[in-house]
Amino acid sequence: MTAPLPVRSRPVPTKKVCFVTVGATASFHLLLQTIFKDDFLRALRRFGFTNLLVQYGKDGQSVWDDFLRRCPPHSEGRHGVSVEGFNFNPDGLDAEMRLARSNLSQGRDGGLVISHAGSGSILGAMRLGVPLVVVPNPTLKDNHQQELADELQQQGYVIASSCQNLAAAVGQGERLRAQMLAWPPVCSVSQRQQRSLEDVMSDELGFLD
Amino acid sequence: MDSWLSWTGLFWVAALAVVAGMSTILLTMHALAKSQHSQVPKWRSKNTPIHLLVVLGSGGHTAEMFSMLRRMSLNPSKYTYRTYIVSSGDNFSATKAVEFETTYLNQNAKENAPGGQATTGSYTIVTVPRARRVHQSFLTAPFSTIQSFWSCLLVLRGLHPDQQPLPSPARSPYPDVILTNGPATAVCVILAARLLRLCHFLCAGLSFNRSVGTQAGSETSATAPGHFQLRTIFVESWARVTTLSLSGKLLLPFADRFLVQWPALKGKKAWSGMRETEYAGTLVD
Repeated sequence: MTAPLPVRSRPVPTKKVCFVTVGATASFHLLLQTIFKDDFLRALRRFGFTNLLVQYGKDGQSVWDDFLRRCPPHSEGRHGVSVEGFNFNPDGLDAEMRLARSNLSQGRDGGLVISHAGSGSILGAMRLGVPLVVVPNPTLKDNHQQELADELQQQGYVIASSCQNLAAAVGQGERLRAQMLAWPPVCSVSQRQQRSLEDVMSDELGFLD
Repeated sequence: MDSWLSWTGLFWVAALAVVAGMSTILLTMHALAKSQHSQVPKWRSKNTPIHLLVVLGSGGHTAEMFSMLRRMSLNPSKYTYRTYIVSSGDNFSATKAVEFETTYLNQNAKENAPGGQATTGSYTIVTVPRARRVHQSFLTAPFSTIQSFWSCLLVLRGLHPDQQPLPSPARSPYPDVILTNGPATAVCVILAARLLRLCHFLCAGLSFNRSVGTQAGSETSATAPGHFQLRTIFVESWARVTTLSLSGKLLLPFADRFLVQWPALKGKKAWSGMRETEYAGTLVD
């Protein structure tokens, strides 16, 4: 005979994390400046976020230092959001992105990832299944990040946003979490007829099996 | 003043030089694109060791490449030797390559053949100078590209200082298949591969002529790329949805296979009569 398990009340999440990443290759000061503005931090607060974690990159140190000088911890300018930052993580950002996943045993509610529209970061976040807002960097060659962001938004995987509309995108990200799609997509019939990379490589090498 | 130094003379010399230069470039382009269209072996035995060369680029390209290799579950007992090309200063890609080899491939090898450690450690990472940095001007790019191109030629011939002699089952230093997804270095690697194949094609013709007379020329074929080596596969980056990247536009006539991952890019071609791009669907995970 086993004793009935003690009834524990479900832990109430006390933490909700927004993780912002600008990637490793190019600098993206506009995004950094946007997330340190009052209306963005206010939007985070409105949707119940408690923490903002920023990966600001090698070139972002000046913007980060500027923010620290302007808004020291617990100052009015942070709107009650706890802000932390780091330069770059050579081991990848999977651990940081997981902070945006709901984990009740660690008291964490489902959060949000805001990323530059580089394919590495996008794939990383989609694979982990966290709601993602992508911000194309308009200063890159022929603004090529925009088309990927638009296409993925159309398919319902991410929210594409510009820096100007980022505060509004926080709310859209909340809605996205309710209807997340799984990545990678399950192969549809039409895609099964395509040749996989393995098939193409075997073709080129002359393997028949 | 001598008559051949007159302005008209100079004009004709210049005109001749321009015509000669242009036609050489055009002929080379044509030869590179056309000469060796399909020399894939009809059949290759299942256990032939394969040397795969992977060109890595900056952040996103590298992440996508390993994403593709994971999705196709790259089999280290089929692709027995891997060479990774990274650009100088790109520690991220080199770290990712080591991580992929040590964690992912080792794990797979253990699952497939318990106790078999024949495949571990059979890879090299080679560093070549950058062809173009992210914000570098297109004006200075040609010079750094030439430097990078030379390095790539060395790598393909197995003569780069980072490389060691291949393990014994491999017949030659030339990789069997080259896989890339469009960093600037890929342009150099694929063009270098085609150039080597063209050279071999021409040398083979010469040595054939010679051997008809003197029975010589058999030793050159031992180190020259075989007909079925240095096959090139270009996968356009998953990030390119409606337009080809610059590397893609440059390499469209030269890569043996040109795969695209979005339907809007299907069937694009460099010029009429050329091979089209192949739509492969999403290859990343």
